[in-house]
Amino acid sequence: MTISFACAASHAPGITAWSEAAPAAQKDTVYGAFGELRARLEASGAEALILLTSEHWANFFLDHMGAFCVGRAETYGGPIEPWLKIDKREVKGEPALATEILETAYERGIEPSFAYELQFDHGTMVPLSLIMPRMDRPVVPILFNTLAPPQPSAKRCFEFGKLIGEIAARSKRRIGLIATGGLSHDPGERNHGVIDSDFDQEFLAAMAEGDGARLCGYSRADFAAAGAGAFELLSWVALAGALGGRRGEVVAYEAVKPWATGVGLMSFGAAA
Amino acid sequence: MSVYTLQKLLRDVNRIPERRAAYFGSPAKFAEGYDLTGRERDALLAFDVRALYDMGVHGLILRPFTILHKMSDPDYVKVLRGEQP
Repeated sequence: MTISFACAASHAPGITAWSEAAPAAQKDTVYGAFGELRARLEASGAEALILLTSEHWANFFLDHMGAFCVGRAETYGGPIEPWLKIDKREVKGEPALATEILETAYERGIEPSFAYELQFDHGTMVPLSLIMPRMDRPVVPILFNTLAPPQPSAKRCFEFGKLIGEIAARSKRRIGLIATGGLSHDPGERNHGVIDSDFDQEFLAAMAEGDGARLCGYSRADFAAAGAGAFELLSWVALAGALGGRRGEVVAYEAVKPWATGVGLMSFGAAA
Repeated sequence: MSVYTLQKLLRDVNRIPERRAAYFGSPAKFAEGYDLTGRERDALLAFDVRALYDMGVHGLILRPFTILHKMSDPDYVKVLRGEQP
């Protein structure tokens, strides 16, 4: 079955934690776009979601870092941040699908780590609470190391995404994909608050065209120049790999200074 | 290895409710449970955000820690850029 739903969205904590700090027009645009993604998810009939996401020291630390981690838990809880203004929730897992992803990946020469217990932070809970507020579909979270160098390359993420897309497409169930993170931002670092809209627009254009070659060409230096948080776009690159060239639509883009982030939301319709 | 331990302490405060309560109850007592250098301990107990950053604390550990201290985004940026003591 073809991938029934696919989107990508930023997950800046300010979207919920200090939403009122943004200019009203920008906040309305971003929340309107999340509402649009929510409606498209509902209309898609997706029965389970694969979340291409990142975390911010919620589960992993420098005692053991891996490039990718596939969640195999029965349930996930979050957010861990008491200040995020999102109620703590439980989200059901989909361990069988997680295991299929892992087994297929290992057969094909990609070896993600896996975890039977994971907590969600704003990286997953901000978009999920706005796109699937009832938390009524099971999820498989796949966490990308976007925090500690060396992060996986864009090319590797694209390849891993391709494999994830194949598994989603061959499933008898209707599978949706959500990528989260980015765009340009330098959270907590010296350039906190600096947004590179030119970088963001170029990246969004490559995603909209499903241009795998261009996306795989992004180097670690390219992401770093757009701020430490731009590494989160590796999950978007993986989404492009999963979608195999499917074109996308930029539902909204706003450089929201009070949220210190270039906020982008994209939707990818049915396969051509 | 010392920045590692300092970051471990800050991360524990950020993510474990019981540790957070212990830290805010008595930062000095809490810090005794971690093998910090004198400089690190001083910066922590003085809530010297700039010093913590300059020691190499990751931004995504430091910023959530400062949010728990109710430091605003603009103030955080000013401190990091040396525009505010």
